[in-house]
Amino acid sequence: MLKVIAACGSGMGSSQIIKMKLEKVFKKLGIEASIYHTNVGDAKSQAANYDVVVCSESLIGTFTNASAKGITVIGLKNLLSEKEIEEKVTENIVNKQ
Amino acid sequence: MFQKLIETRRYSFHKGFATWEEAVRAACQPLLADKTIEPEYPDAIIGKVKELGPYIVIAPNICIPHAQEGVGVNDTAICFMKTEEPVHFSDDPDYDAKLFFVLASADNTIHLENLCELSELLSDEEIVEKLLAAKSVEDLKELP
Repeated sequence: MLKVIAACGSGMGSSQIIKMKLEKVFKKLGIEASIYHTNVGDAKSQAANYDVVVCSESLIGTFTNASAKGITVIGLKNLLSEKEIEEKVTENIVNKQ
Repeated sequence: MFQKLIETRRYSFHKGFATWEEAVRAACQPLLADKTIEPEYPDAIIGKVKELGPYIVIAPNICIPHAQEGVGVNDTAICFMKTEEPVHFSDDPDYDAKLFFVLASADNTIHLENLCELSELLSDEEIVEKLLAAKSVEDLKELP
């Protein structure tokens, strides 16, 4: 089971949209995952307990530490685009397994 | 969703704004007028964007100004604003927005339903095209 954290500035808007879209994409690709959504501060402190962090591209700088520790960090330009999410999940998760 | 926004007068149309801060404040105006939110809510939204960058721009032309639950929010709502000219959130044109959906949440269940509906609607390119072409409330009447 893949452990995923979806992060945004406040934890109540964009991160929930990311979670909804990720659920659809994971289902389509047959990936089993649990997705937790929260704000960036919380995500940053908890990232070490997760396999993947997904956030808006503008927030990716917050997770350089996580990324250095080998956690996959995915930045999204268009949170509503299932195509972009699917491409990035395939590139960063599926192809690395 | 748009019919409810029309009924509750939670919408506005503007030509453009010199700064994104002014745009966010204007987008919040109908919610301030009906006391859904208090003046500290737009302040909280602006503060977060200044701290973290333009993360509220979620897709080309689309922005969802919002801040944490509980800060100056009395009710759960969505409020729409459309600008003719793009509002710049940074030097990068990828973070320009014309469609604003202010989110306020006092009840997480209703908020999630709103967000789910909004995300479905905005994932429909045809609806986004219609919103980008909308000039007045008359044009909203044709939307779901």
